[in-house]
Amino acid sequence: MTPRKVPITRLNKFFAEEDFALEIAMGQEWLNGDMNFTLVLYSVDQQRTIKDDVYGEVSSNGVQFKAPVEFRASVRIEEPANNFLGGSRIVQNEPGNLVFSVYENELETLSVNIKLGDYIGYMINESEVKYYSVVNAAQPNYDNKHTYGGYKSFYFTYIATPVSTDEFNGI
Amino acid sequence: MGLPKKIKKYLPLVPEKVGFQRREQLLEYIQEDGTYLPKGVEHSDLDRGMLDFVRDELKVVVDGKIIPPVDLIITTQNWAQFTQTWKFEDLNGNPNPPFITTVRQPEVKYGSTPSLQYTIPNRRQFYYAKVPTWDGQRKGVDVYKIPQPVPVDITYNVKIICNRMRELNEFNKIILQKFSSRQAYTFIKGHYIPVILNNISDESVLDIDKRKFYIQNYEFLMMGFLMDEDEFEVSPGISRALTMFEVSTRTTNRKAESYPPSPNEFELDIKFIGNNTETNELLSYTANLTVTRTVNIDSYSVYINNNYVGDDISKIQINTNDLLKINVVKTNPSSDAVIYTTAKLL
Repeated sequence: MTPRKVPITRLNKFFAEEDFALEIAMGQEWLNGDMNFTLVLYSVDQQRTIKDDVYGEVSSNGVQFKAPVEFRASVRIEEPANNFLGGSRIVQNEPGNLVFSVYENELETLSVNIKLGDYIGYMINESEVKYYSVVNAAQPNYDNKHTYGGYKSFYFTYIATPVSTDEFNGI
Repeated sequence: MGLPKKIKKYLPLVPEKVGFQRREQLLEYIQEDGTYLPKGVEHSDLDRGMLDFVRDELKVVVDGKIIPPVDLIITTQNWAQFTQTWKFEDLNGNPNPPFITTVRQPEVKYGSTPSLQYTIPNRRQFYYAKVPTWDGQRKGVDVYKIPQPVPVDITYNVKIICNRMRELNEFNKIILQKFSSRQAYTFIKGHYIPVILNNISDESVLDIDKRKFYIQNYEFLMMGFLMDEDEFEVSPGISRALTMFEVSTRTTNRKAESYPPSPNEFELDIKFIGNNTETNELLSYTANLTVTRTVNIDSYSVYINNNYVGDDISKIQINTNDLLKINVVKTNPSSDAVIYTTAKLL
């Protein structure tokens, strides 16, 4: 059964669905056409991945992925932090998280859904890729920041943490 | 209303075993569906056992619905949590109370089970079973040995996250009933492992400007043990015995002990009885006769093989098969006379 839809009437004196669509289209034109920050989504295939029944873990290289999907987003990589690796007294420069925002439209067009635990690849230069694991799946996104003036939400902001190469190193 | 004690709520179709039969049954559980050796017990088996215990023994039903447990110990692989919780997630993909989670404290300490603590040093192997073998020619046995299990204490925090006090109460009731005797048992690979309720605490979020929900934490201590199958030992028992003994390689016989003793020097008395004044003796040995003394003899003459040797000589040399003849002149002709000699064999 098709879910019941209620038209949004707020802001309707000066703003409507056509205006919203226009703004999104212009924003996407700027993000995709001008900025062109490209990421690759490695979505974990929950059906094909064989997990153990205690921890839900798989062996190294045991996670099965769907076909990688390229998408565009606004990208921010946070500064690295110099600190001890836990209580081990080993100093390391912990890379910063990847925070990226994606238009809902973009994901709908590509028919993908970024889930908790999916991996993201990002080319930091011509030859080096860094991988991240999604730790904040950006849901819900109906807060004011993610809506267009309170009209309705139009993008997701994900947070992903860097992963070591022994966890994931591309496919 | 409670039923009188004499009324049975159900009739057991299979009679319960007691005594020796029960002990045998417990042993069979350990070996069931496996080899003659017990199945190994590792950390993951103990964790699985705890999850099974929470799922089966602490099952909570409120308003006809089971409060779902997260049947997984959540680790660093985030997507695993996603796959486990999707059944009770809301539209935004966040888990929807009520649900129960099991969190293991990562550190596993040396166990406090009194029967296993520091009793056997150096991982000594102990006899467990003797299994008959047949290689087509010989019958034998394999001896199965295992070391003493290593005791471990694992702490689990079982948390109920819910929105209603009624759900808290129900879960609390089930736990307190289950642990009314301090401990309960979970069944892991044929072994009964005790679980102790250590503590109950509340972590509910009741801030006025936040979403409110209850979290109650039940801290359990599992007093388990580890048995590593790699440490089990199967060795062939004795099927044939070969006995070896050492003997002397000398071929000469031991000198036989003579009886009576035959010394190479002995007394030889030559007697002249009555009126007899002559004696003839065929000697079958070579010897020197030494005259030590004479009795009733004035003089004597010695002949060997009828050849005159001499009178009153003190030493007579004779050879084998010589004929010794002695003539004597007695002092008193009517009495016996004796020549005492010592014969020394040559």
